[in-house]
Amino acid sequence: MTLFRPAAVLLGKELRTEFRTRELLAATVVFVLMVLVLFSFTFDPTTAESKRFGPGLLWLALLFAGSLMLHPSFTREQANDTLAALRMSPIDPFSILVAKIVANCCFLLMAETLLLPVFAALYNLSLLPVLGRLACVLILGTIALSTIGTTFSAISSQARMRELLLPLLLLPLLAPALIASTEATVGLLENPPALSLTWIGVLVAFDVIFLTVTWLFGEYLLEE
Amino acid sequence: MAEVRASALSAVGSAKRAGSGGLETLGIALLLGVAGYAALFIAPTERTMGLIQRIFYFHVPSAWTGFVAFAITFVSSIAYLRTRSPKWDWLAVSAAEIGVGFISVMLITGPIWAKPVWGIWWTWDARLTSTFVLWLLYVCYLLLRTLVDEPERRAVLSAVFGIFAAFDVPFVYFSIWFFRTQHPQPVIGAGGYLDPVMLRVLLLCWAALLGVLAILLRQRYRLEALRYEVGELRVEAARRGELG
Amino acid sequence: MKNLNSLMAAYLSVWAIFFVYQFTVSRRLAKLQDEVERLKGALKR
Repeated sequence: MTLFRPAAVLLGKELRTEFRTRELLAATVVFVLMVLVLFSFTFDPTTAESKRFGPGLLWLALLFAGSLMLHPSFTREQANDTLAALRMSPIDPFSILVAKIVANCCFLLMAETLLLPVFAALYNLSLLPVLGRLACVLILGTIALSTIGTTFSAISSQARMRELLLPLLLLPLLAPALIASTEATVGLLENPPALSLTWIGVLVAFDVIFLTVTWLFGEYLLEE
Repeated sequence: MAEVRASALSAVGSAKRAGSGGLETLGIALLLGVAGYAALFIAPTERTMGLIQRIFYFHVPSAWTGFVAFAITFVSSIAYLRTRSPKWDWLAVSAAEIGVGFISVMLITGPIWAKPVWGIWWTWDARLTSTFVLWLLYVCYLLLRTLVDEPERRAVLSAVFGIFAAFDVPFVYFSIWFFRTQHPQPVIGAGGYLDPVMLRVLLLCWAALLGVLAILLRQRYRLEALRYEVGELRVEAARRGELG
Repeated sequence: MKNLNSLMAAYLSVWAIFFVYQFTVSRRLAKLQDEVERLKGALKR
């Protein structure tokens, strides 16, 4: 398959590049923590409020963090014009995008794994009983963020004001995924925990449809 | 590629044979006049809200017309990516810009209607919130366009974004609607039964607004076509300046 | 008639938006048409 092998090879390259400089991971984690701390000043969360608002804040903070750190995906290719070299090789251009999407997804999931225990402690939430289901929601939501985020960073890297443009494009578009992820997480924190099939369905549909749209139209973004 | 440019320039040719816009202004005045007359005098007075309810005849069809405009942007974006003919890009941006205008009308008339009747300017109900997000989405489309200088890159990037935005719309409306069923808020605007005369006036107003959309689209499209020609002429003049 | 002011405000703003838009587009159209004529004239020489 002209998609799998090159994508796998590129994925390895993407992951190696990101791990070489773990500062981005550290910065992302600290950023989200900062946002969570600042939010606690804007309203003083009681236990009930934490369960209601905590997940929303976490997902919102992740959304902001993602829109800031998804940049390097494409801007680092611009320095040496490595994208042109990739395009000229006989591979499906979608594999370039897929490699970046998966790499960013792994990156974000790693940040989330580091953040989750801290988040649970800060807002006094017990996440262990629902960890498996929570992981599902996190994965689906992160796929949404990574797919759209990576694709749009390809767009913003070719425009002016790119640091502002990426969040600007990302936030309205990811609104449904934000709502779905938040509501699904809130459902899991209730007594008894309930995994909302509707919201999971929204996330799955969102991921499938936008991965398909990226597959169909993403290659136009990689042109000269 | 040469045929694409040639056909684009011939489209400009027909666009140029435009008047000063007087005829179009008259058309818009006529359409809005007919719609306004029907909404103010033909439609029966609503029992509970009285006079102010007549805003409904512009508030609702503006949103519908906005949707039609964004659908045009969606189709044009795909057509542009397939054919690379600039004409589709001209249509896409025109429809997006005018669509934002219609949605703005909906978002402005909403609060003007709500304040006297329900006492609040805004409520985060499903319809208004979703439409607000829709507005933001297409404003971002227009902003993206201003941030890319090279015309062909601008067309390609905004076409891809336009396609993503279009697929997002159903998600936005569904997720906000379902969210609101879990966390209800006061709803602006009447639901349920609609008097047949009211329905007919509503559809008449929608038809009038679609007419306004068509007229404005044509004007804006011509503007984009002329911009293209000016661009081409400038390139030619620069080229000749170098040779001559 | 209560709320007449609000009704008028709504209708006027609707009309204003469309007419202002039409007006600005027409004006830019006319300016561009002049620009085209100017450039074409310059190129003929």
